[in-house]
Formats: sequence, structure tokens, C-alpha cells
Amino acid sequence: MTITPEELAAYADGELSGAQLDEIELAIAADPSLVRKVKEHRALRASLLAHFAPIVDQPVPDRLTRMLSGQEERDSPENEISENVVSFVPARERHEAKKAIPRWGWVVVPAIAASLALVLMPRGGSETSGFAAPQLALALDQQLVATQPADADTRILLSFRSKDGDLCRAFSGAEAGGIACRVEGGWRLRNVLQGSQTAAGEYRQAGTDDAALLAMVQDMADGPALDSDQEATAKQDGWQ
Amino acid sequence: MLELLPRLRRFAIGLTGHPSDGDDLCQMTIERALTNRQKWQEGTRLDSWMYRIMRNIWIDETRSRTRRSQTFVHEEAGFAVGAGGGQEAQVELGHVGRAMERLPDDQREAVLLVMVEGYAYKEAAEIVGCPVGTLNSRLVRGRDALMAMLGETSPGEAT
Repeated sequence: MTITPEELAAYADGELSGAQLDEIELAIAADPSLVRKVKEHRALRASLLAHFAPIVDQPVPDRLTRMLSGQEERDSPENEISENVVSFVPARERHEAKKAIPRWGWVVVPAIAASLALVLMPRGGSETSGFAAPQLALALDQQLVATQPADADTRILLSFRSKDGDLCRAFSGAEAGGIACRVEGGWRLRNVLQGSQTAAGEYRQAGTDDAALLAMVQDMADGPALDSDQEATAKQDGWQ
Repeated sequence: MLELLPRLRRFAIGLTGHPSDGDDLCQMTIERALTNRQKWQEGTRLDSWMYRIMRNIWIDETRSRTRRSQTFVHEEAGFAVGAGGGQEAQVELGHVGRAMERLPDDQREAVLLVMVEGYAYKEAAEIVGCPVGTLNSRLVRGRDALMAMLGETSPGEAT
């Protein structure tokens, strides 16, 4: 059967179900070029998420929060129109809103998690016991997600505390990406993925498969990723 | 609504391609939402409602600016944002941001809603006010363009 680009994208986004899903999975299983395309879709999503995620962690400008807090003051219980406001954002809705914005939403964005669960993409990454080479170690020591240059050779995707209690950082570069955890003696590499073929072009391409990395992070992490302040503090403390 | 702000800002900055324009758009959105809050139906998603308001304002804005997009898109300005805000972290729009800016508005909003904000096609289509199939094809065109610009496409393949 012929898979349209629309169907393939919908598949990569976890939008399909039932017979349609089965059909596409069959077609993909028979065609390596489709596998690659699905990977590209997911890599693109990961780049977009990584690109826009930091905005959510930034403090919201005062002028915006003031518009809403001023509103709440005016509509305090003494005020006659208070009922409107109370019903406007009921507690339930707040709760839902909160759930909808997990701190590390870009790691656990349901669509990504769902699409990864389909395991088209091999959960690659061998456990290794090596330590990061000096250049990589330098990036791991110095770079912060919020401030690293956009064209850094190695990009830090996020930092998190592992279930073992170590501070770990997921990184992505042209040649390899992976997860490194700070232990005595340096940055121990926990998972390493080979980067995909890199074309030297005008635009940087996502080297390794960021989505696969983020899935591994999810398995290893003991809670949400660090926000930019926590990460800065961790750096000051020497990533202990 | 306060808790939605960080996400609304992200969508606004993604749409406008520029943080200070994004914050202006956010401000207009909040104003309109507060003015029209009686129109929000309890039980429906507040976030979708706010996103819809925002994209409608944005569409109106871009139309009325009749493509004076240079005032909105500071290509040379380096996209270094947050200048002057002591605590404010810098946003480097970088390559991804520049590629996003090159997309037509309808493709960019589809890409943002689904791939960044994580909406299902159906929800995104409701926000935009178009059929799901239309959204799906805009999304594909937007993605293909992005992949081509970002070099993530693999040439010479028949689907």
C-alpha cells in the first residue's frame, strides 16, 4: 500500500489507532526508508521542543502577571463580581492546567512518550562505563541549557537527578549524544548513541536522536528535570 | 489563567518569532480574554480558548500590518532577547527559530500547536478553526519545509 506523507506524520505524532495504525506499522516494517522518515519526524519534534522549552521556564514579565493579579484583587470576595471570577478558573481547571504543564513537559510530552512506546525506534544506547573525554567534560561542566550558544558543538538537552542520586546531563552532538552522570573522578557516560550522518549545511541538524535520549532520561530520572535556576545552582556546587 | 501564562508566552513567541512582540501579543490576549470572559464556557478547556484568542489576534495583526513584517521580524537583531531584564534568561532563537519564521503563518501555527504545545490534531484544528485534514496537510508541509531547512531530510526517497 502507499503511505501518504500525511499518514506518516500522523503516525509519528501518535495520532493513529486501530486498523489504520496496524496497516501503517506493517508498511513501515517492510520499508526501512519509512523507518528513517519517522525518525526524522521525531527528531524534528525533539529539536522544536528543545528550542521552545526554555521559554516556559523563564519568569513571566511583570506587566503580564500584573494584569491578572490586578484582576484578582479587584474581584476579591468583597467585590460584587467575584462570582464570575471564581467560576472563571475553578479549582479543577487550575489543577488540570497544572497537570498540563509538567515542569519537564518536553520530556514527557504525552505524544512523544506515546510514539516512543511504539518502539519503532530501537531503544539503542549501550551501557558504558567510560568517562567523558576532556572536551565533552568541559561542555558538561560549563554549559547551561538556558545560556549555551545555539551553535555549540555539544548541546546540553537537560539536567536531572538520577535515581542513584547523581546529577546527570543529557547531551547531543554531531558525532554522539548521550547521558553523563557526575561521579567521583569525572563525568561517567551512562548511555551513548552514535550521531546520525551529519551534513554540513547552513543549518545545524539534530545530531543524535534526541527523542530516544529523552526517553532514556525518563527512565533514569528521579523526578523532573532541573529548571534554569536549579541548574545554575548545581553548576555552582560542582554538579554534586 | 496565571498558570497558563508561561505556555501562552511560548506560543506567542513562536508565532511572532520575537520575544517582545510575543509579550505584546500575550498582553492583548489577556486583555481580550478578560473582557470576554463571560464567553468562556465552563467545562471547556481554558487553554484552548486562550490559544484561539491569541491566534485570532495574531492573524488580525499580521493582516493589518500588510506584510510590514520587517517591523516584527528583526532578522539582523540577532534575536538576543531579554536584554535589560536582569533575571530574564536569554532566548537564542537560533537556527530553529529562523527556520520557523520562514514558514507561512498557517503552517507555523500548526507546527507550534501540535509539535511544541502537544495538542492532538483534533484539538489543534479546533483552535485554528479548520478541518482536521487541513491541519494535517499544513503540518506536513510545514514539517517538510523545516526538515529541508534544518537539513534533517534524506533526499531521494519515494514514499
